[in-house]
Amino acid sequence: MSAEKKDYLLVDENGQGKPDKPWIFRTYAGHTNAKASNELYRKNLSKGQTGLSIAFDLPTQCGYSSDHEVSRPEIGKVGVPINSLEDFRILFDQIPIEEMNTSMTINGTSMWLLSLYVALAEERGVPLEKLNGTTQNDLIKEYLARGTYIYPPKDSMKIIVDMYEYCLHNIPKWNPSNICSYHLQEAGATPVQELSFALATAIAVLDAIKERNCFTEDEFEQCVGRISFFVNAGIRFVEEMCKMRAFTEMWEEITKERYGVKNAKYRVFRYGVQVNSLGLTEEQPENNAWRILIEALGVTLSRNARCRALQLPAWNEALSLPRPWDQQWSLRLQQVLAYETDLLEYPDIFEGSKVIESKVKALKEQAKLEIQKILDMGGALVAIENGYMKSQLVKSQTERLSKINSNELVIVGKNKWTDGIKSPLMTDSDGGIFKVDPKSAEQTLGVLAEAKTRRNAELAKKSLEELKQAAKDGKNLMPYSIACAKALVTTGEWADALREVYGEYNPPTGVDGQKLFLSDDKVATVRGKVDAFTKAHGHRPKIVVGKPGLDGHSNGAEMIAVSAKHSGFDVIYSGIRLSPEEIVQSAVEENANVIGLSILSGSHKEIAKQLFDELAHYKANIPVVIGGIIPESDFEELKKMGIREIFTPKDYDLMSIMNKIIDIISVEPALV
Amino acid sequence: MMDSTETLSQLVSEALLGEKFPIAKIISKIETENNLRFRESLFNEIQSQKPNAKEGLTIGITGTPGAGKSSLLGELCRLFLDFAPDKKMAIVAIDPSSNISGGSILGDRTRVTLPRRDTRIYFRSQPSQLELGGLNPYTYHVIRFLRKIFDYVFIETVGIGQNEISVSLISDISFLVMQPLGGDQVQFMKSGIMEVPEAFIINKCDEESLANSSYYMLESTLEFIKDILPDQSLPPIFKTSVVKKKGIEELLNFILTYSKRKDKNIETITQLMQWIRNEYGRFGIGIWKKMESNTWNQAVRLNSLGGIHKFNYELEETKFLSLIQNKIAQNDKN
Repeated sequence: MSAEKKDYLLVDENGQGKPDKPWIFRTYAGHTNAKASNELYRKNLSKGQTGLSIAFDLPTQCGYSSDHEVSRPEIGKVGVPINSLEDFRILFDQIPIEEMNTSMTINGTSMWLLSLYVALAEERGVPLEKLNGTTQNDLIKEYLARGTYIYPPKDSMKIIVDMYEYCLHNIPKWNPSNICSYHLQEAGATPVQELSFALATAIAVLDAIKERNCFTEDEFEQCVGRISFFVNAGIRFVEEMCKMRAFTEMWEEITKERYGVKNAKYRVFRYGVQVNSLGLTEEQPENNAWRILIEALGVTLSRNARCRALQLPAWNEALSLPRPWDQQWSLRLQQVLAYETDLLEYPDIFEGSKVIESKVKALKEQAKLEIQKILDMGGALVAIENGYMKSQLVKSQTERLSKINSNELVIVGKNKWTDGIKSPLMTDSDGGIFKVDPKSAEQTLGVLAEAKTRRNAELAKKSLEELKQAAKDGKNLMPYSIACAKALVTTGEWADALREVYGEYNPPTGVDGQKLFLSDDKVATVRGKVDAFTKAHGHRPKIVVGKPGLDGHSNGAEMIAVSAKHSGFDVIYSGIRLSPEEIVQSAVEENANVIGLSILSGSHKEIAKQLFDELAHYKANIPVVIGGIIPESDFEELKKMGIREIFTPKDYDLMSIMNKIIDIISVEPALV
Repeated sequence: MMDSTETLSQLVSEALLGEKFPIAKIISKIETENNLRFRESLFNEIQSQKPNAKEGLTIGITGTPGAGKSSLLGELCRLFLDFAPDKKMAIVAIDPSSNISGGSILGDRTRVTLPRRDTRIYFRSQPSQLELGGLNPYTYHVIRFLRKIFDYVFIETVGIGQNEISVSLISDISFLVMQPLGGDQVQFMKSGIMEVPEAFIINKCDEESLANSSYYMLESTLEFIKDILPDQSLPPIFKTSVVKKKGIEELLNFILTYSKRKDKNIETITQLMQWIRNEYGRFGIGIWKKMESNTWNQAVRLNSLGGIHKFNYELEETKFLSLIQNKIAQNDKN
């Protein structure tokens, strides 16, 4: 007996009602050390999570072992530290990797992490064909927005192509890279910029693969089919849904027209989503729960714009790392959406909508123009190296912030309806946030030290030499990396070997020539004070904007640099990943009136201490202010160390920040 | 505040030892408006503490934006630490200021990574302060001061035309940095810049053939204007690549072994004249010409006696100021 066919129902080939399978539920997780993260993963999987999304700590992402001096403040803070195969053994203990879909959010060192995964599989006797998952490996967004790149663009691209070549022949179900526009939106990208920069990146990857000419025509089609995307869903959810539809259509067109992919299966736009963290507020953080739900709707509501995997941030992410309970709450939202509602029972519910269709069309047209501009320039790599894409993002971001500052963009609880009752969710004894135990790094360092003593030193050295030679000869580095993994080489040693050959990349900061769109009374007030300062001291106030540590989220620092210039300061800003020693050296040599630090990785206490030690070395009494995700419970300790003012995401008003800074330095005695 | 002699003498003695913070404080003071009195005491103090203080070589580096000057300097620094273990260098990098707020973003440090707590390299940024000529109004005095402490003082400016080449006036040797096939030399030739620098650098020579064709193009351009070059010999051209780490050793070697010095008396007079022109225009120059003959004769006389560097800028500035004040007072009376 066959059921009557109805347009509004999804049916299988027998005409039986058959809802879609839900997307993969993931939680981006990892912290403290391999052991603690392993426990967390096993708990999450038992709660109904269907895939793993591994967060690595910053030293691992930037290619430093935990025992490197720059790693110390960051070990286990924003993800799990991985030093050698030994850590992977612990991390995946009792987790059947052959049954997992494992996503690794890692870029500069993605080849290394995949090599460790392969080495682990071979050790366990798991056939590589069974491995399923993704290494993010999108370097372009790292240069633009996230800052955990290591090598220059061309060499990074070479590593990506190596991985495609290796994976297609050896781990066919692995996505060697994942074009990530997520961070572009975090860095201020408009939907058009997200579309065009991500697609231009995908074109750059595919062009590089084509150029190597390592695949047959059929293999190349399969390879196109492995390209996946990681996208951001923001609060303007109708527009975001249209963005997703535009992505899908444009990818279909690009793969067909530019690359001649015949098999429709390989032209599908495959993507995972994490909803926007940028829009989450520190003020009235409970409002974020609704934001997260609304943002999730944009990428789940309609069948033609439904993601393959979804991860949701936690309601309190603007405050600090989420607790396991907070992550569980986010997972439950996905489960309610997928299993309680009727969302998955229908075909696309917006098909035929005039509004949606014309919005999609408009987005596509603008994005095509932008892609053409980038291609005319010589492609995404050139647009990175000449600073074009970065400066476009900094521009969008300054515009966005100017709009928030002038209340043109409403953010509930932040610049409107700011009075409210304090959330009872925050009153638990832990203050509603999670902190990594500072002693937990010892375990990681212990495992690392032990692995180093236990390994065959000769073999480790030999495999590193072979890796270096292969890099010099331009060979595919995957087999050499896997050999290193098996020889218990460490993350830092692997990355250093390639640093020696490729060098380290230092990109344009994108702040040159940027303007703020602010000219209200507040600006006039600040400029007035700057003028008074200049008269009193005979020169303009000078600020060193420092971005210490391995955290590459440079938006905050860039906005402060641009605002300070807008106020009339002379600004020294040298980009990301500086040591506290380098920042102090700049401030001393330049005789700066103030140092402004931006830290989002949670290592503010350790870094502030290093900074003040260094200032003491020069006997330099330069005032220091700090901005970033800093929990209130740390304020007192920071002030005791000598930090003069602390700015958190609550302080979004740029001119108020500048006003406080000029006030602080105006009462200082003249430095000379 | 630092106004008592004791503090200045302390600062100077620490600065002469190469201590970074005292050097930085002194530079800030030099960069302060109406600093004549300070300069007088500063240079007197240096003279009395260290009469034979060194006189570092000044190297000007200019070129169009994007020619890779900062990266090149970064690589030069790295090599300098290895190749000249007993020498010290300072860099003054000048960036443009905003003409709306007057503020600036000084990002040139980005390209120069220095070892921690090393006192052999000192880096200082300077906003151009909207001055024409690519130099900051205080650059000259900052350089004069740094020369007393460092063996080599580099000045990096963005140069795009005739005005911006004034860096060569305060350098013993100045380089014009170009990009391969940038076509700069044609523009530069039109504006008469090609005769000014002592040497040329084609930077970003990452590709051999591109580098060579640019080299030959530049060489033939220079041959074309050879007749008007002062000593009629072709200035050296360096091909450098920071990416491929090529040509930079040769460039550094050229700088380290460079022996010709420009006459500091002439430099001083030129600066004085420039300052007078900026501040008092043609009226001021007219006044200056009156005392010029004396000063000039004095400079030439000292020079022939081997008394190079003896010309006292602050003294001349004071003399000129009193002269012009008298003149202005007279004018007011009339």
